[in-house]
Amino acid sequence: MKPTKKDRLGMALFMTPALVLFVLFFIIPVGYVLVVSLFKWNGMTAATFVGMKNYVTIWKDPVFRRSVINNVLWALVASCVQVPLSVLMALILNRKPRGWKFFRTVYFFPQVISGVALAMLWSAMYNSEYGLINGILRAIGRGDLAINWLGTLNTALPALLIYWVFYIGYYMVIVMSDLSGVDKDFYEAAEIDGASKIQQAWFISLPMIKSSVLTCMTLAAVLGLRQFEQVYLLTNGGPANRTSTMVLYLYKQIQNTRYGPANAASVMLICVGVIVILGIRALFKLGRSSRN
Amino acid sequence: MKKILAMILALALAVTAFACAAPAAEPAATEAPAAEAAATEAPTEAVVEEGFHPASEVTLNFPCIWVGTDSKAAVFGEMVAAFNDEYAGRAKVVIEEQTDYQAYRDKIRTMISAGQAPDLFSVDGTFKLADLADSGKLMDFAPYLDGTDWGATYTEGALSDATLDGKIYAIPFESAVFGIYYNSELLANAGYTEFPTTYDDMFAMADALKAQGVIAFPLMTGENAWTSMLWYSQILLAIGGPDVYKNGLDDPAFVQAADVLKKMFDYTSSDAVGAGAAVVNGHFLNFEAAVYTNGPWFLPRFAKEGINDLGSKVKFALPPEYTGGMGTYGGLAGTVQAYLCAGTQTDADKAAAVVEFYKFINQPEWLYQLAESSGAMFFVKLDSNPNDIQIKQDLLAAANSAPYIVKHFNDSMPTAVGNAFPAALDELVLGTVDAQGFVDLLKAAGE
Repeated sequence: MKPTKKDRLGMALFMTPALVLFVLFFIIPVGYVLVVSLFKWNGMTAATFVGMKNYVTIWKDPVFRRSVINNVLWALVASCVQVPLSVLMALILNRKPRGWKFFRTVYFFPQVISGVALAMLWSAMYNSEYGLINGILRAIGRGDLAINWLGTLNTALPALLIYWVFYIGYYMVIVMSDLSGVDKDFYEAAEIDGASKIQQAWFISLPMIKSSVLTCMTLAAVLGLRQFEQVYLLTNGGPANRTSTMVLYLYKQIQNTRYGPANAASVMLICVGVIVILGIRALFKLGRSSRN
Repeated sequence: MKKILAMILALALAVTAFACAAPAAEPAATEAPAAEAAATEAPTEAVVEEGFHPASEVTLNFPCIWVGTDSKAAVFGEMVAAFNDEYAGRAKVVIEEQTDYQAYRDKIRTMISAGQAPDLFSVDGTFKLADLADSGKLMDFAPYLDGTDWGATYTEGALSDATLDGKIYAIPFESAVFGIYYNSELLANAGYTEFPTTYDDMFAMADALKAQGVIAFPLMTGENAWTSMLWYSQILLAIGGPDVYKNGLDDPAFVQAADVLKKMFDYTSSDAVGAGAAVVNGHFLNFEAAVYTNGPWFLPRFAKEGINDLGSKVKFALPPEYTGGMGTYGGLAGTVQAYLCAGTQTDADKAAAVVEFYKFINQPEWLYQLAESSGAMFFVKLDSNPNDIQIKQDLLAAANSAPYIVKHFNDSMPTAVGNAFPAALDELVLGTVDAQGFVDLLKAAGE
């Protein structure tokens, strides 16, 4: 049914408060970020217009390029490893095996703990002198494998990613709530037709929860691209900037009172984010059209 | 049309999602026009008349970092309360509590750039005096300090170091010098009763400590690589002498000092790369490491937090000499921990109140209390305090007789170079660059 003029007026009235807030708190600040990215400014004295120089400067900086790569890696691992793990766990727990409520709580529990506390915990676990991981290695007679996990070039980033990937509870709960809405008749019919549990999950559950998986992948990618807290607390981008991310990079530019490059990095972050999100959406659209 | 609308919506959502990613940059963006506006206003100074008799009570706003759990908080709070009592009806200082250093720095920068510098505030070494002067928004204290009784209370050179073009926008308040501290019991176990006086001998001692399974030097590359940066500063002074920073990073002493610092990492803990201050402090306080460096504020912690009666076993030593170096034995690295500043005042009463308050908190009786409670040192000349712990007295004696005290590396370099130090040190220690490469990385950061 085509909306009437009155409907449109009502819709506009309801949308206006949100739109005003959106413009005030997102569009205008983003516009300012864009403007300041074209200036040289130390935060205290007058700003000087430098055009695209800040963009060129940060793009020439190998630390920024590494930060972009690391961020894309975070986004990929989050959406292609963390989310599938969450879906797998949700599918298992959705079958309500013994103790499923306990496991659901256990997996979700880290989400209610401060990220700072978790980072401190993992920092202690990874510590080379007194950490749990090296302690276990020494206890089983493999002390030769004990290394400084967060301080070695080849292991620092994987160590961060592994720690992050374990926390699947958030996406698991989203997927589980979607799974609970799938009609049981589908499974009963599949049982009668002799479909195995894996086939039921693959051919019934997964297609039915596709939209929530897409949501989880988008959220995971966004969080991966915005990664800051864990990296800052565990490695501060080290060793030798090998674990730096874009937000950490722009934070350090702010510490250097280089607000122009910091804002240029923000704009680049927005661009990379848009590309990744549109990429994920295109991937799902491609999957849908190929089946059609 | 629908597709176009959907695309616009998707783009808007994506932009929105990532706009949240840069919260720290947003205030910066909003501040730029204000900064330009601020730069166009000419600062106005008021002249303080003899005595302090304002027309009405003056209120001074003081965003202050010495609050909460800060080691100076209790005594500083008493100081402010005492000032408010003594000047009741004439002046009142209102503290605005700031507990996070970085947030405090950001706030001060933002307020200065917006032309709303607080009535009273402090800045640390991360603020460059030239930037403060260029802002045109700070009160010049030169008329109140140059050739006055108040100015005469400061140590030699303190005010001249803070003077730019004849103006003093930041009054030196808290200082620090960095000595070497060693665990005499661990050294004795390795056959040493005294701390070596040369780097060659220090490395020989480190070999002996290593043979005993003791960490000779607890070092770090994480956070701001603080203790490693202090060692680098000491080594630089030993090699290049007090003028080492005059030629910038082109002085060959920077490369030589990097080699010495790298060698020190052969005698450190396995968690040094990426370690923060807590790790380094933990090694020394837990009797695992033998030689340590830090500021005077840390000294009370040896007794309070160290195990095995560490407080009585830690001794003070001077940084070693470098054979063939240009440094003089006894020269020390130091820093300005805090400057006191004030926003430009157009009201003569307010300007006078600012001066009265800063004079008040710089009185020796208060500074002694602050020093005792926090271990801090100050730029106001003070007699040695018999209530200080021995190690602090030793440090003060060394500072008083030092042939020179030169600002540490981070204070002597542009902010970006100091901030690049930890990552460059990682590269050096992990062997991805040599000493020259380390210095090149620092140079690149400063460009």
